[in-house]
Amino acid sequence: MVNLNTILTIIFVPILGAFLLPFAGYLSVRLRNFLALGLVAVSFLGSLSLIPQALSQSPLSFSLHLPFINFNFSADALAVFMAMVSSLTGLIIVLYSFDYISHYQNQNEYYVMVVLFLGSMMGIIYSANLIFLYIFWEITAICSWRLIGFFRAENDVLRADKAFLVTFLGAIIMLIGFIIIYQQTGSFDLAVCKEYFLASSLPNIAVLLILAGILSKSATLPFQTWLPDAGVAPSPVTALLHAAVLVKIGVYVYARLFVATFPIAVFWHAVVPWVAAISAIIAAAAALIETDFKRIVAYSTISQIGFIFFGLSIGNEVGIVGGLLYILMHGLAKAGLFLCAGIVEQNTHTKDITRLGGLIRTMPVTAMAFLFCAFSVMGIPPFGGFFSKLMVFMGGVQSGQFLVSFVFLIGAFMTVIYLFRLFRMVFLGEAKISAKEGSRTMVFSVAMLAFLSLLAGILVMYPARFALAAVKQMLGLAQ
Amino acid sequence: MLSFFITTPLIVLMILNLPFRSLMKRIVFVVGLSLALIQAVLVALAIFGFWDIYSIPVSPMLRFNIGVDNLSLLLLLCNGMVVFITMLVSRSFIEEGEKRFNFTSLLLLSFAGVNGIALARDIFSLYVFIEVVSISSFILICFNKDRDAFEGAFKYIILSAIATIFMLTSIALIFLVSGDMSFEAVRAALDNSAHTSLVLMAIGLFLCGFFIKAGVVPFHGWLADAYTSASAPVSVYLAGVSTKAVGVYALIRIVVTVFGFDTPINKVLLFAGALSVVVGAIATLTQTDFKRMLAYSSISQIGYIVLALGIATPLGIAAAAFHFFNHAVFKSLLFVNAATLEIATGTREMDKLGGLAQRMPVTGVTSALACLSIAGVPPLAGFWSKLLIIIALWSSAHYNYALIAALASLLTLGYMLLLQRKVFFGSVGDHLARIKEGEWNLIICAIILAAVTVGVGVLFPFNLCKLIIR
Repeated sequence: MVNLNTILTIIFVPILGAFLLPFAGYLSVRLRNFLALGLVAVSFLGSLSLIPQALSQSPLSFSLHLPFINFNFSADALAVFMAMVSSLTGLIIVLYSFDYISHYQNQNEYYVMVVLFLGSMMGIIYSANLIFLYIFWEITAICSWRLIGFFRAENDVLRADKAFLVTFLGAIIMLIGFIIIYQQTGSFDLAVCKEYFLASSLPNIAVLLILAGILSKSATLPFQTWLPDAGVAPSPVTALLHAAVLVKIGVYVYARLFVATFPIAVFWHAVVPWVAAISAIIAAAAALIETDFKRIVAYSTISQIGFIFFGLSIGNEVGIVGGLLYILMHGLAKAGLFLCAGIVEQNTHTKDITRLGGLIRTMPVTAMAFLFCAFSVMGIPPFGGFFSKLMVFMGGVQSGQFLVSFVFLIGAFMTVIYLFRLFRMVFLGEAKISAKEGSRTMVFSVAMLAFLSLLAGILVMYPARFALAAVKQMLGLAQ
Repeated sequence: MLSFFITTPLIVLMILNLPFRSLMKRIVFVVGLSLALIQAVLVALAIFGFWDIYSIPVSPMLRFNIGVDNLSLLLLLCNGMVVFITMLVSRSFIEEGEKRFNFTSLLLLSFAGVNGIALARDIFSLYVFIEVVSISSFILICFNKDRDAFEGAFKYIILSAIATIFMLTSIALIFLVSGDMSFEAVRAALDNSAHTSLVLMAIGLFLCGFFIKAGVVPFHGWLADAYTSASAPVSVYLAGVSTKAVGVYALIRIVVTVFGFDTPINKVLLFAGALSVVVGAIATLTQTDFKRMLAYSSISQIGYIVLALGIATPLGIAAAAFHFFNHAVFKSLLFVNAATLEIATGTREMDKLGGLAQRMPVTGVTSALACLSIAGVPPLAGFWSKLLIIIALWSSAHYNYALIAALASLLTLGYMLLLQRKVFFGSVGDHLARIKEGEWNLIICAIILAAVTVGVGVLFPFNLCKLIIR
């Protein structure tokens, strides 16, 4: 029972604690900030403590028996891996917020929403019941709605509404998919559903409906448009939503449902990579011509999410391990890029890269951190991104889908081009706007992310081993 | 015991209207408030204590059959809660003295009427109580005696009169077939009469009557005018319980208990429900007046209830009842918010408002909760009822209707976000910079109702579902 309590703590301490933050905020700003950090840290440390159990032969799964629906949890390696990634990036982003947000109004709401968001993210990760998955899924949507509209200008709110509506549309379609599963199996419990679909594969219509939800949350074609628009949010929010956590929900649920639980018809293993490939190429092309700092990074996210889907959907072990590693590497590096963008934006008051330049002289740490993170996203050894990209491609080639792998290769090449273009226009060349380095906490946060990106590459064997264990558990192979 | 629900408000009403008017005027507010509160608490206790008791006692004191089942309890609970809220809201709108005395008297009369609807076990007394509620509603709508209010009330009277004629004719026809009025006798008689065209006609007329009273499309013309033109507490009452009781509850009661489900009835209910859902939602999108928007959204939500009823499975009926309760809560909440706004800003035009969440934190947060609940966003109460509706539709193979219900909730979210964007979310205009949060009584109302919405939503998986799904 100790472990059940651990999972409940991981999920509900941040969720319930979030509502204490405004009261703490009335007492003292520092108290509130550190309380917020502490709540996220609870999730992180709790997940850390679950590692040994998750890696053992019998991963945890619990159910809390309720009259109508059983509240099931499972803490297998996949869940713990994902929880570690999100809470770690979440932790750094909250730290970064201390200074970034201190200039604006509605700070209390900001912290409530961020912590609530991370708590529900833990809920999505650990729950093994479709209805609870859906509930937490939508709580994250509510939070991102408030967070995207944080600055309250008319355009901000409009785009917040757009993001909410697009993801809600996806979610409601996905809900119908869940109901189809429920109708066949008579349960929302994933373990029961898994038993039911041992021999047969999930009906294609259900796959399609659920996929709509996943793609809308992960901002993949054809639901990608809300993500670049949501760049109006404060930078820590964009980092949280677009890089580290929100868009990964879709990817995670894909892994949880279609890799770990339900067998799906073979042709999806060809269709999904193609959808992802088109999404990756189009987004990369958009990133090439865009001139708004945060929009470029946002398009880059859409493009990279395509790579993750490619890895997960290709249907062999190496690819899936690569996809999971990609979640980690991309989360760290992309959060770093967004946070760098935040520092630049806050100190120069513009997001237009044609008006920026030469910032490396006045912001050396930010520039280096940006470069490190960019290297990781590009996939340059020895940064973490290299290994994940390599494994995804190995998976693609192993499955014999050469054409789609080739398309992704072009996408990877484009990534290198647009990130170098971005770096050159913002940090190199002559200085157009003079700006000073960001505050200490903010710079420390981005440097931390850059360092972690490098570290994850050098010590790649640890996360890789973990991901491999997760994949073996998911596919039911012996370890 | 049960008859006390009807007799107590009536007797209190009589006592209040005895001499000593000046004394009565002073205590009338407290009396009305406590009466409603006592009922809400009693029923809530009954729900948690002995919900499963199903009793049909016959009261010798009044010459009609009354009885209670879960559905009646639900209406009794809504009634107590909403009247309590209405009384509190009226404190800010109806001036003390003669006016408030009259207002409270009318409200108590209507209160007794709704209780009567909940408890009646025969068609004719059901009809009588429906009329009691309707007539007091007419007067309440035009209570402030301005032009719009008269127009709204007049529309309501005319359409209600037509509904009355339909119902009376239908009752006469049914009496012809059955020779008795009580629900059981009529049901038995209808079952045996093998659906002659006469019975079919009676049923059709009855349904039309209820559709008019409930404001289901295409009989919805009066609803928006009546809700919008009435003064704020009356809107809360109308939207929260009055039209729901006379239209929706009575419809559920008659269809479930008396007519029984039958393919043509189901088809009509499903179609009318789905039409209301979609037409109401689309009409809502174009509104600029806060209360009018809420009124059209009511049409859409009533559509959901009728749609769920048309599924004709136990799950469907449970979903309808649950959505009925939820709608009473969150729509009252939004009308309370509208009342607060009206007092604070003096306007209901949404284009003139904006960013008020910063100035009115409680109203902002509670209205956001209500909006999300209506749209069916978890973990709020509205999500569970919509989920049940969609599951019920899907598992009874009404795939198209399930799709309509699901996609219409996207429309719902769309207009609710529109409302939020125009009024609460966003930046504050200069002309609104000095706006303050509403008075304590309005704040309390908003907090109570928001707590119910959140509480029901969060606790639903734990045990509240027992109440709904027996």
